Amino acid sequence: MADEKPKPNFGNVQSGGSSTAPAAPASPTATSPSATPAPPRTYTVVAGDSLSKIAKKMYGDANKWQAIFEANRDTVKNPDLIHPGQVLKIPDA
Amino acid sequence: MVPQPLRIRSTSCLTVIAIGAALIHLSACTRSEEAPAPQAAAFRVTRVDVGKAIGADKKVTAPSDAFKPNDTIYASVSSEGAAPNVALSARWTFEDGQLVNEATQNIAPSGPAVTEFHISKPDGWPAGKYKLEVSANGKPAGGAQFTVAD
Repeated sequence: MADEKPKPNFGNVQSGGSSTAPAAPASPTATSPSATPAPPRTYTVVAGDSLSKIAKKMYGDANKWQAIFEANRDTVKNPDLIHPGQVLKIPDA
Repeated sequence: MVPQPLRIRSTSCLTVIAIGAALIHLSACTRSEEAPAPQAAAFRVTRVDVGKAIGADKKVTAPSDAFKPNDTIYASVSSEGAAPNVALSARWTFEDGQLVNEATQNIAPSGPAVTEFHISKPDGWPAGKYKLEVSANGKPAGGAQFTVAD
């Protein structure tokens, strides 16, 4: 029996980023049909964020926070508890 | 009455002028076909670097492929060209293919740009080999490999 190394846990990895280029509009603009699907959108939580603030930022509607919560059930157990650096999946509106 | 030699000279002079004008016209036409109106260059990633720190220009100050467990790992993605919306993604994986982190930034560059991604792990990175894959709008655009060791 080979000794299997336990898989490391990367669940607490914090990430972030920035660019010298301006940010593109949050809502995807209409583009020509393409064979390759667009990658899923993500959002990196910053200090002071809440799901409703993120929903307002991403969809223009704070009431859509539940869609973000549902899409991130695997990592967000409590919708009132998100951490700076946490990367959230942003489902299509 | 105009003497014959003078008329010949005058005729050949006109011919030379006409040929010259035709050549100038032809050359102008050719030039305009060879030099189309300038267009904005298409977006493309030109360089991906990883390191322990970045500068104000978002570029990695000292590229490295060897890190310590408590390092924050930065990746700077240099690009050129303009696009109204580019989804630039960084996918970090461990040696066994396990996903470490994935993040996307939607940018609207109008020329050369640098986009940085960084990851950290409060309890330290497991030693081993890591891989970074960068994609632009879902298409592979570059990457890097590095090692974490005590």
